[in-house]
Amino acid sequence: MTDTLPMSAITVNDLTVAYKDQPVLWDVDLDIPAGTLVAIVGPNGAGKTTLLKSFLGLVRPAAGQVLIFNKPFSQQRRMLGYVPQRGSVDWDFPTSVADVVMMGRYGTLGWVRRPGSADRLKALKALEQVGMLEFAERQISQLSGGQQQRVFLARALVQEAQIYLMDEPFQGVDAVTERAIVEILRNLREGGKTVVVVHHDLQTIAEYFDWVALLNVRKIAAGPVAEVFTEEHLRRTYGGRLALFSDGKLNGSVLPEQLIELPEAIH
Amino acid sequence: MDWAKIIHDLFFDYTVRTVATGSTLLGIVSGVLGVFAMLRRQSLLGDTVSHAALPGVALAFLLLNSKAPLVLLLGAMTAGWLGMLALMAIVRNTRIKLDSAMALILSVFFGFGIVLLSYTQRLPDASQAGLNKFLFGQAATMLEADVITIGILGGIALLLVIVLWKEFKILSFDRDYAAGLGFPVGVLDILLTTLLVTAIVIGLQAVGVILMSAMVVAPAAAARQWSDRLWVIVVLSAGFGAFSGVSGVLISGTRTGLATGPTIVVIASTIALLSLLFAPNRGVIFTSFRDLKNKRTMRAETVIQSLYLLAKQHGDPQYPHAEAVLRTMSANPLSVKRSLKHLESNGLVANVHESRWALTAQGVLHVEKLVARRRFL
Amino acid sequence: MKIFIALLFPLLLTFLTGCATSGSQAAEDLSTRKILATTTVGMISDLVTHIGGERVEVTGLMGAGVDPHLYKASEGDVRALERADIIFYNGLHLEAGMSGVLERMADNRKVVEVTRGIPRDLLLAPAEFAGAYDPHVWFDVTLWMQAGETVRDSLIEIDPGSRDIYEQNYDKYMAELEKLNAYVLEQVARIPVAHRVLVTAHDAYNYFGRAYEFEVVGLQGISTEAEASTADVQNLAEFIVSRQIPAIFVETSISPRTIEAVQAAVKSRGWDVKIGGQLFSDAMGDANTVEGTYIGMVRYNVDTIVEALISQP
Repeated sequence: MTDTLPMSAITVNDLTVAYKDQPVLWDVDLDIPAGTLVAIVGPNGAGKTTLLKSFLGLVRPAAGQVLIFNKPFSQQRRMLGYVPQRGSVDWDFPTSVADVVMMGRYGTLGWVRRPGSADRLKALKALEQVGMLEFAERQISQLSGGQQQRVFLARALVQEAQIYLMDEPFQGVDAVTERAIVEILRNLREGGKTVVVVHHDLQTIAEYFDWVALLNVRKIAAGPVAEVFTEEHLRRTYGGRLALFSDGKLNGSVLPEQLIELPEAIH
Repeated sequence: MDWAKIIHDLFFDYTVRTVATGSTLLGIVSGVLGVFAMLRRQSLLGDTVSHAALPGVALAFLLLNSKAPLVLLLGAMTAGWLGMLALMAIVRNTRIKLDSAMALILSVFFGFGIVLLSYTQRLPDASQAGLNKFLFGQAATMLEADVITIGILGGIALLLVIVLWKEFKILSFDRDYAAGLGFPVGVLDILLTTLLVTAIVIGLQAVGVILMSAMVVAPAAAARQWSDRLWVIVVLSAGFGAFSGVSGVLISGTRTGLATGPTIVVIASTIALLSLLFAPNRGVIFTSFRDLKNKRTMRAETVIQSLYLLAKQHGDPQYPHAEAVLRTMSANPLSVKRSLKHLESNGLVANVHESRWALTAQGVLHVEKLVARRRFL
Repeated sequence: MKIFIALLFPLLLTFLTGCATSGSQAAEDLSTRKILATTTVGMISDLVTHIGGERVEVTGLMGAGVDPHLYKASEGDVRALERADIIFYNGLHLEAGMSGVLERMADNRKVVEVTRGIPRDLLLAPAEFAGAYDPHVWFDVTLWMQAGETVRDSLIEIDPGSRDIYEQNYDKYMAELEKLNAYVLEQVARIPVAHRVLVTAHDAYNYFGRAYEFEVVGLQGISTEAEASTADVQNLAEFIVSRQIPAIFVETSISPRTIEAVQAAVKSRGWDVKIGGQLFSDAMGDANTVEGTYIGMVRYNVDTIVEALISQP
């Protein structure tokens, strides 16, 4: 699948990021193909959020580079839409839902210019896409977790980007919202967009995503889910923690026979 | 209090007019920038910066041998700025958290400032600079030149806030996202904080080092209580600040012996306190009442649902039951009587006989609606 | 055994500190060396220097331009006070920030309030400062002469052997002060009565006013600790305009801002009042200058006042 596409959406070479002498990402190479739904998976502290932030230039790498469509990210900001973790923001901030979504237009507006009616229209359309149109004038403090996530998503959609980067978008979100968001992501992919998601729930990887990158400071493996999402790779990614996740509940590309063997093989 | 004279003085008396104008401008500027400080959780920064400015004033006098107000203000700004930079450096590079770092910078700089003050008080001519007046301010001796300085610096600050409104907004709300969009958040951060430092420094003359932080916190905190829209909050905050400034000057001007700076701060704090208590939606009084009301409603609904369940067992939704039975089913037995009274006043239950209660027809409808809405617990 | 050592340590500590503090208690024969006197304000330093003469080494804590109302003693000051055989201060709450320190010093040495000899009915008690007297007595030369008497008597008390020296110095200095007093009266007489109004930053000149028939008005009260209010500035400005006063004065130990504010207020009412000059109020001039001595300071003040107020537009 990957070799038929002209170029990778995101190319990562030898990326190393350290935080006070502790490596967070070490010598990571990735070639994320365009037009796919990609999951970044790994245990806590594995550097997943950091990887996302390095695509945006929010962290300075100790070594290596990141290219967006073969150009450095600083020139490609228009291409990237970002959906950060919900907890990164104070939801008591005095602003409405529509206002937050319009912030996604700020990048295009540049300095000083205020959003106009055209931008507002785009914001409302994005809200409609995520099913939040009726909440447009609501205070963001009055939203539930799932609703907050959808607002963030709408904000990224309004950027009209080519690549969407999402950090744990399904964290603490109800089932209905999760379904809705997956629908939107699939629509994006149909439209040729690339969606990179930091995802924590191993059970849904095979169902939602085409491509997966397994990360634990180093890249353990990356590629189409069917090839890469194996027990062997998972064990290497999660180390001893894999026992907690199993109980034969691993889905997707893990072979059915192995599900039975699992309880004995792990201790 | 002779109001006619007070109002007349405000416009026609040079002294009152000058001091009031200066204090009003100060109130506006610190009100506006205080909102952003509050939203960025930097309110206490005002306290830190104003205390940190003290050694700057003393050093400016010592090194440049001048007591010109502008020189001293520049000294205050430099020291305040350095204090801020030191603060950010500590937070970024050590394990010390923001609040501890603030306390550290505040006390170290302020202490150093006091040491310098006591050193300078020994020097001939030193008291000429009126350095220790910076502690509590000396609003009443503001000259036109001071007001012009405040006006210019404050005006620039306000202009920048208006022009860079959306930049400051997104910076305060979601810094990372703003950085992702390509905004130079580091620069914007420093710019906004510099504006805050400016506001504080120009206020030092009127209100003094020790009380200045109140002018950055109080109007903003008060304004937040009244609205959920950013621009309204900013305007309100400016208004509260201005009002505090003017009324502080006017009230302290009615008699000798009332210090102007502290009066301004007392008024601003009172406005904040009243807002915290009485604002609709967010005020403490309001939320307390609302909470009580909710509790009462919930308790009543539990009781009426228990009554319904009991009645259903007899096949007749209006079958009466004794209050004692209801009490055994309730988590708050003592509140059952009150709930029944409340339900009765709403026409949902009726006191059939002694202490036996039954649902009315209206009550039955009410419960069935609850069931339909699936709020039946 | 351990308990014994544990108890010994704090006892030892107490014993040592006890020894340290009660050092200078032994009654020394001061006739063998110079007496160490520590004084607060410059006027007192000058007074003690003149009366003590060669017998006394004076250390003054507050130099030129220092405001005694706000002054707080530093470590170095405390040591200078501890070293002294005798301490002279003004009292009447002039050195408000030092009362605690001075009280402690009284345990081990003679601490003399130089104004104590002045009969209380000669002191001024302003209405706003109920219960306290105005401390600025040195501007009435005759009162200051009485302070000199107290200084002489205190020195004689601790060093009776040099009695003659002190009395001689005292007589000589008093003669000079008499001449000074006459000079002031003579100069003041040159000012037309209508102009004999002294407007300054704080109420330091009440005694001067009473002694030499001047009306005296200060912006701030007796102490510089208080903050001037707009009402104060307004009232003073109106007063100046109504009496058509030609000049007002700044003080060396107070920021000129306050007086400048008054001047601006007066200007806005259509009267042009000049700043007549800088007066010494709570402190004297630099040491080694004429104004660094009491007599020099008083003469300078009087000359400045007279020149400013005598000029007729």
